Amino acid sequence: MGEAIVITSGKGGVGKTTTTANLGTALALQGKKVCLVDTDIGLRNLDVVLGLENRIIYDLVDVIEGRCKIHQAIVRDKRVDEKLFLLPAAQTTDKNAVNPKQMKSLIDELKREYDYVLIDCPAGIEQGYRNAVAGADRAIVVTTPEISAVRDADRIIGLLEQEEIEPPRLIINRVRKKLMNNGDTLDVNDITTHLSIDLLGIIVEADEVISSSNKGEPIVMDPNNKASLGYRNIARRILGESVPLMSLDDDQKGVFAKIKSLFSR
Amino acid sequence: MKKQLVHIKGTKEGLVLRLDDCCAYADLIEELESRVSEGGIDNKVDVQLDLGYRFLTKEQKKDLVQVVEQSGKMHVSNVYSEVISVEESNELILASKRDTFFGIVRSGQIVKATGDIVIIGDVNPNGRVEAGGSIYVLGKLKGQVHAGIEGNQESIIAASHFEPTHVAIADKMDVMSNEKPFVSQHLDQIFAFIDHNGVITYDRLQEARNLRPTLNIVQGGS
Repeated sequence: MGEAIVITSGKGGVGKTTTTANLGTALALQGKKVCLVDTDIGLRNLDVVLGLENRIIYDLVDVIEGRCKIHQAIVRDKRVDEKLFLLPAAQTTDKNAVNPKQMKSLIDELKREYDYVLIDCPAGIEQGYRNAVAGADRAIVVTTPEISAVRDADRIIGLLEQEEIEPPRLIINRVRKKLMNNGDTLDVNDITTHLSIDLLGIIVEADEVISSSNKGEPIVMDPNNKASLGYRNIARRILGESVPLMSLDDDQKGVFAKIKSLFSR
Repeated sequence: MKKQLVHIKGTKEGLVLRLDDCCAYADLIEELESRVSEGGIDNKVDVQLDLGYRFLTKEQKKDLVQVVEQSGKMHVSNVYSEVISVEESNELILASKRDTFFGIVRSGQIVKATGDIVIIGDVNPNGRVEAGGSIYVLGKLKGQVHAGIEGNQESIIAASHFEPTHVAIADKMDVMSNEKPFVSQHLDQIFAFIDHNGVITYDRLQEARNLRPTLNIVQGGS
């Protein structure tokens, strides 16, 4: 029996879909059988980020309305050998096509076959959110070091605490080391004390995240990228390993700074 | 001789009309009417009505006051009764309740209490606490608070870290902008109350004992 984890944020554009795609891939690379479920009915993106768009035949609404079997709608990602699967959302209808009860029985069915079911939640706190949370055992809240994203995360944590699931955990996405070290954005400590939930990990901002998304290839496939390392660390923490938090010290010193630090010793 | 139903007594606070609490209401009204029209009083005086153990509804009380004041010589300053209804009593119990909330009041959440409330945790921005009495926050207060929501002017709002966006006590409301120098300088351990000018004011927590002595219930400490 697997575990269903919903990835949510309240605010849009903080990286729920990117996080879902990358965490799912990272877990699959660790040898777990993973199914990603896109619940953003009407505005689906997860298939695009994974580069599986043109292989969709049936979707989530088809399954729920009984037009096909679950395994017919699920798309297999060939890059990760027999480990990574996607249940895409429908694009032609909207969130009200599904209700939380149907969603819960669908997720329960998937949990029997997969080690991890990652549910990509749409932005907002309406029907789409309620559908996404219905079947989940745990929740991961994604935020960025912006005050608006933190406010919305606070709201969503309050709502999640009303549900019968484990306390949510936090991912701080798109961390810019330089701005954070200069005090121009909220720092990791500010955010975790304000929201007072466990921190699962931080992802540093990298240009490659955007370019790889556009290519339909999750960034975790590149083992040398900083953001990729962040996602891999989070996947290992989900699996129960204890991995220290990534250091935020500025490692790219200029030549002069290096010389200066030699003399100041 | 018939028993007198209305006694007029002079006290330090002025005249007290003591009304018999065993007779019929109609008889009482009748006698009261005749007694107040008797005259003998030159200037307009303040009187108090003492109902004893008779229970009267709000309308009946209003009628009584009207009967006394129609002579034009008397003004009723207070109506006193030994009894209250079950409903009023329950309201008093609710208003004197003390609630405790463990956890964080997050954005979009509203915590309500009929009496005083203690929040063991933070109140985050856009979180809201409403209480019939006072509000005490043991964590960081960064949201909205409304104390004395039923009109209790004596209630206060105290927090170990005081940084709310909106403060309201009874019918007064304060939007916390940067123009509050005391609050922005002190942040920690302050409380809000309505001062004698009817304005929400802020002071150090240590002053609360002097400014609101009635809130102190526990005796001793010497």
